[in-house]
Amino acid sequence: MMRQRLMVPALLGVLLLAACGGGQQEPETPTPTGETPPPRPGTPAAAAEAERQRVEAEARAREEQRRRAEAETRQRAEAEQRTRAAAAAEEAARAREIIAEVVLFDFDKFNIRADQQPALQRKVGVLRANTNVRLRIEGHADERGSIEYNLALGMRRANSAREYLVGFGLEPVRFETVSFGEERPVCMEKNEDCWQRNRRNEFIIISGEVGRTSP
Amino acid sequence: MLLLLVPAPLTAQEDTLRIPTGVRLGLVYRPVYQPKVAVRPFSGPGELAEVATAILRRDLEYSDRFELAEAPERLARGPVDYKPWNALGVVYLVTGGLEPTGDRTQLRITLHDVVYGTIKQSQSFTLPPLDAADFRMALHAAADEVVRWLTGQPGMAASRVAFIRRRGDGGYEVMVVDSDGEGAQVVHSSANILLSPAWSPDGRRLAYALAHASGWSIQERDLESGQVQLVSGRPGLNTTPSYAPDGRRLAFALSSGSGTEIYDYDVAQRCCLRRLTNGPRDDLSPSFSPDGKQLAFNSNRLGQPHIYLMPAEGGEPTLLSPFVYGEPGYYTSPDWAPEGTLIAFHGRSRGEFQLMVADAANAGGTVQQLTQEGASEDPSWAPDGRHVVFSGVRAGGSGLYVMDAVSGRTRPLVLGGRYLVPDWSPTLLRASALAVRGP
Repeated sequence: MMRQRLMVPALLGVLLLAACGGGQQEPETPTPTGETPPPRPGTPAAAAEAERQRVEAEARAREEQRRRAEAETRQRAEAEQRTRAAAAAEEAARAREIIAEVVLFDFDKFNIRADQQPALQRKVGVLRANTNVRLRIEGHADERGSIEYNLALGMRRANSAREYLVGFGLEPVRFETVSFGEERPVCMEKNEDCWQRNRRNEFIIISGEVGRTSP
Repeated sequence: MLLLLVPAPLTAQEDTLRIPTGVRLGLVYRPVYQPKVAVRPFSGPGELAEVATAILRRDLEYSDRFELAEAPERLARGPVDYKPWNALGVVYLVTGGLEPTGDRTQLRITLHDVVYGTIKQSQSFTLPPLDAADFRMALHAAADEVVRWLTGQPGMAASRVAFIRRRGDGGYEVMVVDSDGEGAQVVHSSANILLSPAWSPDGRRLAYALAHASGWSIQERDLESGQVQLVSGRPGLNTTPSYAPDGRRLAFALSSGSGTEIYDYDVAQRCCLRRLTNGPRDDLSPSFSPDGKQLAFNSNRLGQPHIYLMPAEGGEPTLLSPFVYGEPGYYTSPDWAPEGTLIAFHGRSRGEFQLMVADAANAGGTVQQLTQEGASEDPSWAPDGRHVVFSGVRAGGSGLYVMDAVSGRTRPLVLGGRYLVPDWSPTLLRASALAVRGP
């Protein structure tokens, strides 16, 4: 180690002499400061230089490898995070879908039909998993009933869904009910298919964030 | 087994073919003789005389009590000679003269008994200027006075109909229109749902229901000042307001717990909410009897919506619409006539809503079905107690129609839009208010 260090000034001296004592002036090519011109091959200095370069290259390679490994780890972590985020977003979207799923009713009826119970049961899972979520339940009717009577019917429908959900142990304060009677149809044609789509409850998130689909 | 699985369509089909048990097609009153009446063009300044004659003549026609005769050109001017009118079969002749005095006009109307060749009545009325907002209403009041001279009964020309317009963009409007279909104006316009307008007995205020995202409220609007007061804005429904004849109390429906119940409230003192019904299901759409002692209302306590009566302070309800166990029935939207015991409502008959009338003095008796064309809903009586306005679908279009429950004659009031839940005002202007002051 000691030897190597001492050799460097000596080497510089030789180089300077060679530069100045040359018969002809070397063309003035700008040399980057601090960079030494390559030693003549075969000299001890050259061997040392080669050794130094080898050591440096090795260090660089190690560093490069380390960086690559780090990047890979990071990318993998990021990818995992992305996947997780995508899965969470997907789950949240699914949870919102479950909340938004309408519940349908028979003409002039407000009981929760057997075929409509699974939709409400799915909501129970979401509501249990997201305890800060509050819902507005809107009751709607088709155009065949009387305008004013349909308001009371829509209210009954909204309250039926609330009672069903509360029956699963959910707190009543998490639900607000309202009726718009036949005033806000989703379908305007005059046929049973359309009327059925209008005899519905809609569920709107009024506060809280929906994340998971189940606790 | 297969048949057992499909009972619903069979019931529905049955429902669309039959008139319900306990309902009979027909009119409320017996048709009566309609005397021939002619209106001679009023004398006076050109346009004013023309407009005044046209309004009065049409009001007499819309009263559905007379047969209106044309006034021949040769008899349009000069001293009245009864002979040619008598030859035309005219029983009563109305003549009039307009005389501008300052910014007002004096209209003298004379009613001639052509058969006896005598003057039956003659009176002067003070009219506002032709371009004034209340010019038409003043003539309507004069027309009602002529109807009273001729029949001894009240007319309904000096009145308006309040109703709801569903706009194409999802918005709503509370509107009012004169009894002859003229002068329609918007009282309240909103992106939110507006329903169930109700006139105060003094004709100065309108109460109606207004929805917002999470509920409903009932507002009362002063039609002159435009001032709006919140009457009720409790959670859930606040709907179907209806004034007591004294104008102090307002009955309406609120949702409480899982159902809807009728309450009343002192609007004069803004206090004292009182619950009137305690049904197991829903009670709504109250309508006071003329003496304020009873309420007709709508309830589904039997499973299907029916019309009931009860004391105005609450109490035991009496079923008014026909209920037959096991048969479908659907009756809603009662409106008690301004005098007497008749209650109009609509019910499903042959698959469509039709106007029906029952007598509160004869609960359980046969119900008369007034209409059978197209569909007809939400009737409201005129102050004359014989016309009803309703929301209808006819060959001529959908909109508001006026039907005379005596003659069955029906005319459109406003067409070409989605016009709903009409409420007919009380008499808004009386001839006494047009009396000539001074000598």
